[in-house]
Amino acid sequence: MTDSKQPYEGEFIPAAHLMPEAVAARKKRNLWLGLALLGFVVLVAITTMIRLANANLSEGAGFYYSNSGGSAREDERMPIDDQPALPPGMTQEQAAPPPGIEPEGAPE
Amino acid sequence: MTDAPATPAKRYATASDYVNLMKPRIMMLVVFTAAAGLIAAASVTQTPINPLMGAIALLAVALGSGAAGAINMWFDSDIDAIMTRTSTRPIPSGAVPREEALAMGLIMSGVSVMLMWLASNWLAAALLAFSIFYYGVIYTMWLKRSTPQNIVIGGGAGAFPPVIGWAAVTGNTPLDAWILFAIIFFWTPPHFWALSLLAHGEYEKAGVPMLPVTHGAKHTRLQMLIYTILLVPLALAPVVTGLGGWIYAVTAGVLGAVFLSYAVRVFLSKAGDDDCTGAEKKLARSMFLFSILYLFVVFAALILEHAAGLYFAVKGF
Repeated sequence: MTDSKQPYEGEFIPAAHLMPEAVAARKKRNLWLGLALLGFVVLVAITTMIRLANANLSEGAGFYYSNSGGSAREDERMPIDDQPALPPGMTQEQAAPPPGIEPEGAPE
Repeated sequence: MTDAPATPAKRYATASDYVNLMKPRIMMLVVFTAAAGLIAAASVTQTPINPLMGAIALLAVALGSGAAGAINMWFDSDIDAIMTRTSTRPIPSGAVPREEALAMGLIMSGVSVMLMWLASNWLAAALLAFSIFYYGVIYTMWLKRSTPQNIVIGGGAGAFPPVIGWAAVTGNTPLDAWILFAIIFFWTPPHFWALSLLAHGEYEKAGVPMLPVTHGAKHTRLQMLIYTILLVPLALAPVVTGLGGWIYAVTAGVLGAVFLSYAVRVFLSKAGDDDCTGAEKKLARSMFLFSILYLFVVFAALILEHAAGLYFAVKGF
């Protein structure tokens, strides 16, 4: 490159002067845009609140995010207080004692 | 081919220019018919709907209609500048740059579909998105400039609102919703052709193949009569399915008879021909104005029956 000058380097760039009518029109447009954005935020907030108010937030309803990739199916879900926690990957069948052997401490 | 539009004089856009970009008169009719679908669905299926959510769903329909209007004005700005009737629109008048209209249309499309989904369900949102696409792309960009059947097929876009309103409440679209769709679909050709009979010279100048331009006024008047003959009994179909009661039946019957009489008189006249009289032009204009009143009152009757508890079933159906 023979000319290493940046574009407009050393040149006088006059500031843009808008006509008063143009400034007024721009201000008005910006105000309407701001109000439209505010309106959108308010509408999203309202719909969210109404949806949450009508939602079933109980623990068994599957509303909350599950780390296993979604809410658990009805047949996969464990009653919380009935069973002890199992190691990851182990099923109830694997954890159950072999036939004929009573679990330790089982009532006579 | 269209003539090159004249360079518009520069003027500063006001809020009303952006409102006009959304075609507010069409928007009102769209929202009204969507409200009819929504109210009728809630009443017929006994599905309660949160009034605020219903209002937001209707607002989404209004925004979607405005978005489609803005996209239409962006694409058609060249022919709008040629026709006297449309030359004062925001883009040809120089108030709003084309790209701003497109940006507004696209942003509003996204916002309207998202709001609809939040306020109701995915089906209503998908139908709204499709209707915007139908009007903005299928009708505006493809059909309008390529076939004289443009407003017949394109009329589907304007017929979606009651189906969207129905789906917003129930999450499905039963036969009743599609009957309302069909009423607007068959209403559109006689409504729009009544206007194009008067303005066919302008469409010809702009190169838009409207039916009076390609097939002549006589053929257009015949088509208007045929569509009106199909529309009048179709508008009574809600009575058969139980969607409409006595008030609706009488309203649709009486107004249908008047609409049909307009169509017959226009058919027998020379409206749109080169040698037509002032009275015949006036007749076509009266039919155009009456068609707007017809759709408004027929859907108002449906709203009245289902919102005000004035539904009295017509026995025998």
